[in-house]
Amino acid sequence: MKEPSASRGTYDIEEVRRKYIGFETAVAKGRYPVEHDTIRRHCHMVDDNNPLFLDPEYAKKTSHGAVLCPPSGWLALYFASLGPWPAVFEPLFPIVPTPGKRIVNMSQEVEWPARIKAGDHLSVRGRVADVYQKAISLDAEAVGIVAEAIISNQRGETVCVIRNTMLTHRTPEEQVIGDR
Amino acid sequence: MQLVWEDVDVGEELPGFSLDITPRRVFLQVSGSQDWYPVHFDAGFAKKGGHADVFVNTGFLQAALVRVMTDWMGDEGFLKTLRFEMRRQQRPGDTMVCKGRVSGKYERDGKGWVELEVWAENEREGVTTPGTATVVLPRR
Repeated sequence: MKEPSASRGTYDIEEVRRKYIGFETAVAKGRYPVEHDTIRRHCHMVDDNNPLFLDPEYAKKTSHGAVLCPPSGWLALYFASLGPWPAVFEPLFPIVPTPGKRIVNMSQEVEWPARIKAGDHLSVRGRVADVYQKAISLDAEAVGIVAEAIISNQRGETVCVIRNTMLTHRTPEEQVIGDR
Repeated sequence: MQLVWEDVDVGEELPGFSLDITPRRVFLQVSGSQDWYPVHFDAGFAKKGGHADVFVNTGFLQAALVRVMTDWMGDEGFLKTLRFEMRRQQRPGDTMVCKGRVSGKYERDGKGWVELEVWAENEREGVTTPGTATVVLPRR
């Protein structure tokens, strides 16, 4: 199948929508289980000192019996993916071709059917829910991508569902070159 | 003491907190989110993309909004849903204030559900990151 082009003047949003909306990624399993120290770093970036997330001895005495992963879709996705190392920045969402490779996240919806505990081993399945073109202040030809991630634990239970809307855009320099 | 559904009032404010977005906080953000996209720590990269400066990422904002609720709801509370929008930016020099308010409560399937508005704001731009959430709290 011919790949839709992302170059200036030939970008066909309708062709991209036809090809990529509904596209599902293969299930990826997290490289590591849900880990205490990763949770600690995540909590400490916002001065979150909740012992349920940080103190195994405290958490053991609660009804949960173990440290919980804070209910952050971001952190669940981190544990469910292969982990961002070695770091790959561009493109962050390599599946859908876009004229620009810069990314701005616009919104996120997260649902937690069940709690995630330290020691769980998460997997993720991704799906492209929508692709559209939208003019924004940074780029009149920005492309929006709505991506869903369904995260499950080692027992196959869905623990988190994320729907993320991002806009991809060109830099001002790229727009000047592209508009020539 | 564990918060219970019966003790929650519609209109009640969640305590919330504030965070100064200092250079140190920007580095903590990268460490804590493991988001290495340079727009969140490299001012030159951010400006080349048309932004005024670096700005904190989605993972950081989500962690802060989640903390507003988990600090309030206690160990037995369960955050079920959260939706939030990144409408404006939190940048170095800003003081990010995170708050919440109870917007509704109801019973369903024998459980006590609470609806919340949560948001981040700063003096420069007002509300930057509005959100809504639902939480299940234990019953008395």
